[in-house]
Amino acid sequence: MNRLFNRNKMLIILFGIIVLILLIGFSMTDRDSTTKAEQFTADAAAGTQSVIGAPLNIITNIFSSISQSFNAVSENEDLREQLDMLPQMEEDIERLEAENEELREALDVSSKREYESINARVISRSPDQWLDSFTIDKGTSDGVEEDMAVMTSEGLIGTVNRANGGSSYIEMITTNTSQDNLSVEITHDGSPVYGTISHFDNERNLLVIENIKNRSEIEEGDDVFTSGLAGDFPEGIIIGTVAEVENDEYGLSQNAYVQLAGNADDVDSVFVLQRDPESMEE
Amino acid sequence: MKAIVIFIASLVFMYADFLFAEISPVTISGLEVYFVPRLLLMYILLISIYISPSMSAFTGIVFGIMLDVYIGSVYGVHTFGIAAFVAFMHTAFRVFYRDVVAMAFVILLLTFVYESYIFLIYRVLDLVSLPVFDYLALRAAPSLLLNALLFIIIFVTALKTSKVRNNLQSKH
Repeated sequence: MNRLFNRNKMLIILFGIIVLILLIGFSMTDRDSTTKAEQFTADAAAGTQSVIGAPLNIITNIFSSISQSFNAVSENEDLREQLDMLPQMEEDIERLEAENEELREALDVSSKREYESINARVISRSPDQWLDSFTIDKGTSDGVEEDMAVMTSEGLIGTVNRANGGSSYIEMITTNTSQDNLSVEITHDGSPVYGTISHFDNERNLLVIENIKNRSEIEEGDDVFTSGLAGDFPEGIIIGTVAEVENDEYGLSQNAYVQLAGNADDVDSVFVLQRDPESMEE
Repeated sequence: MKAIVIFIASLVFMYADFLFAEISPVTISGLEVYFVPRLLLMYILLISIYISPSMSAFTGIVFGIMLDVYIGSVYGVHTFGIAAFVAFMHTAFRVFYRDVVAMAFVILLLTFVYESYIFLIYRVLDLVSLPVFDYLALRAAPSLLLNALLFIIIFVTALKTSKVRNNLQSKH
């Protein structure tokens, strides 16, 4: 009887390992939609979290507002100074936007740079923080879809990996499974040079961009943007600046090491970018 | 009634785990030190002793799925991990007599092994490339210290949970 029990236990463990391997395989494949079961489970978790987190949030808000009030005066002065320039800048932007629109209508093209942003708040992140990924409080009901770009005010930080009804799971650009050969544009002296994201170098904390044509003359300090050539990413979203350039191992193309503009460690609120659907049909 | 208390306590511990991610990593003399709490895992392991292994395994699988789908990039890691650790706890604890020190030691050891198990899976999948020594010094050791401190809260909660009546009408 005892032996039979042990054999059963062994079978259960073996079965468990097989299921684990299958699940790992399933989650590592490239999928462009989230199943209903995943959406339901994640939304249930997000819903209960908001109920349990409500009293905790009230306490945290009280403490943070007390600590913020100490710096409020000096911060207020700084912001006031910045605001003085705002009316002029707004006027300029309006004028340029109108001019841009007129010219585009004349040329009859839609811009890959046009996008709408959805503001979202980070509601939870994995306690082990191996991959820096997190969950936000906006989902498909707010217009979020899989593979949309996610940025902070500083720059691009990740993509929407799974979009649920009222929450979404964001994978950071620093996670090596998320980049999916994203096309980027490096601006050198005003002219664009194209490349693709290869991986994130964890040891040096730099993003590696490959397939850059030889003699492109890119150098340290050049800005790196999304190119809008592939995927649902709009064009012109800042990724970072070039920190180092080197030839690839065969000498056929160049690789660039990029310092990310967005800080992956300290993210509280993000923007999900919804690219103009017209420009994606082209 | 007991099942409801276990479910609510597990939910609270799961979100308490998430809250620690807000303060971790802590930068100490230029090094990022990660404190990873395992409140939920410790609670589920204690349930297997004070209540029942089957209840513990069931809670483990339910919350494992929730963790995997809600905050996980790789499915199955937490679901399989928690269930396997409950089974292991049940087997390992039969060797020890039921005294608190031995039990605390086993549970803290299992939180360390659980952290290492996740590290191993991510290393195999090439998602992380942290050297083993850095992992031990900057993650495993600080997390073990944090979990040793938090163990007291979990232990008291698990004891209180075990005293909750199974049924509301069991007085008669």
